[in-house]
Amino acid sequence: MAAQKPFLGFGLGLRSEHYQDVLEHGPTGVDWFEIISENYMVDGGRPLYFLDAIRRDYPMVMHGVSLSLGSTDALDYDYLDRLKTLVERIEPHWFSDHLCWTGVDHKNMHDLLPLPYTEEAIDHVAERVMRVQDFIGRQMLIENLSSYITYCEDAMPEWEFLSAIAHKADCYLLLDVNNIYVSSYNHDYDPLEYLDGIDPARVWQHHLAGHSNEGNLIIDTHDHDVIDPVWALYEQTAQRLGPVSTMIERDGNIPPLDSLLAELDRARAIAEPHYGT
Amino acid sequence: MSMSHLRDLQARFQAYLETGDEAIEQDIVGSSDARAAHRLAVYYNAYRIRLIDCLATDFPALAKTIGREDFENLALDYLARHPSSHPSVRWFGRRLPEFLRDDYRGEAREFLAEMATWEWAQTMVFDAADSDATVALEDMAEIAPAQWPLLTFEFKPALRWVDLHWNVPQIEQALENETTAPARERSEIAQRWLLWRRDLKTHWRSLAVHEAWAIEQAAASCNFGELCEGILEWIDAAQAPLVGAGLLRQWVSDGLLRSIHA
Repeated sequence: MAAQKPFLGFGLGLRSEHYQDVLEHGPTGVDWFEIISENYMVDGGRPLYFLDAIRRDYPMVMHGVSLSLGSTDALDYDYLDRLKTLVERIEPHWFSDHLCWTGVDHKNMHDLLPLPYTEEAIDHVAERVMRVQDFIGRQMLIENLSSYITYCEDAMPEWEFLSAIAHKADCYLLLDVNNIYVSSYNHDYDPLEYLDGIDPARVWQHHLAGHSNEGNLIIDTHDHDVIDPVWALYEQTAQRLGPVSTMIERDGNIPPLDSLLAELDRARAIAEPHYGT
Repeated sequence: MSMSHLRDLQARFQAYLETGDEAIEQDIVGSSDARAAHRLAVYYNAYRIRLIDCLATDFPALAKTIGREDFENLALDYLARHPSSHPSVRWFGRRLPEFLRDDYRGEAREFLAEMATWEWAQTMVFDAADSDATVALEDMAEIAPAQWPLLTFEFKPALRWVDLHWNVPQIEQALENETTAPARERSEIAQRWLLWRRDLKTHWRSLAVHEAWAIEQAAASCNFGELCEGILEWIDAAQAPLVGAGLLRQWVSDGLLRSIHA
């Protein structure tokens, strides 16, 4: 783990609804953009046109949803070829995917499915992360999920599972603050215990997002504003971890860019006083 | 635990997502008091909602035509028959036209299959490969008259044609613009429609029968002389060279051609 942790500032997930605004209205106040890698694994047309144009003006990171690091299917090298091509095209600061599996028997459920927190799963996932890193030629970030179930065989808390894989594979973490909040609510643990169990040096990126509260369960839907308890938890992460590149994720009910910029300013206002610059 | 144990666990989870098979409940905390079933249902529902939404995004006119409830039922039947096998959800709907044609049990099967064919062709043109070259009208002027009969043509990648019996392009356009859609009309002979992308925008137009034939032959490497000869089936001999040249000029001005080879 030799690399110096980069700090990109405060970013947004790039969504097609905002392409024109981002290109036409000059500086947006967004420091960087994250793209969903799969959305740009196409041959041409509008998606790649806007990607290249926006990349000229902004730093970018790549975030995938189909690497399926935890699947017991073989790694999909056609997919990895596409991923590598995209990495070479846009030269992101880093690429990431989730600590999950998305399907077996060559099917894709297009969901981020949880793994049991066991030593065997650690070995399995860490080995695959290392092979992906070797193939792409750089270290990656893995992200914690929102989850709704607990496996009977879980042998450790989620933060130990996540940390063990990061340590073993020598990768970095994309710590989703909303997901910590959602999972702590759903599984009734203290989110601060989660934060205290994470090595700050491993955390290179944060996601912030909104969710839907269904009463006894919180569902991670990315279609609402970030809620106050998640902002409070974000402040705790800033205190504990120092400067970490942070962004707002919004996938449904996408508001105008200005509204997301206001949320981003709130993130800045919360985190920067703790950065001690 | 071993890899085969993890594999079995994932197979049980996936069987639950696909068919509702409850065997996975034994692996989840709370199976005794129904908490497990309640929590697993989040995944069961999300799987369906996500892929229904994906089809609704890729086939908006089809969804409007048959209504939300029938569309959801169609999407669920399709999902059960053709679960996604691609890393990108972009490709999930690719077999919906054939599914509608061969397996749909509702009414107006042929019309709906053609609507899906039409919408999927637009998806394919939307993000097909860009072209690194284009042919301009000035390029045509430089070609010596003696070379014309031997010219062959390479079309740009973002170009498709579909053959439709029904007036789905007109209906789809009306649905998109939220204007009154024309009545459904079927013609005995299929109409060929050309779709292509220019400056990031998808264009389309219907083709007269001689152009429908010529564009297919040109894409299969027939030369200009052969095209002018072939269209004699529909065009007077005296007019054929002029009509052939007119087609070519149209293809160039529409921006369909990547290159011309002498």
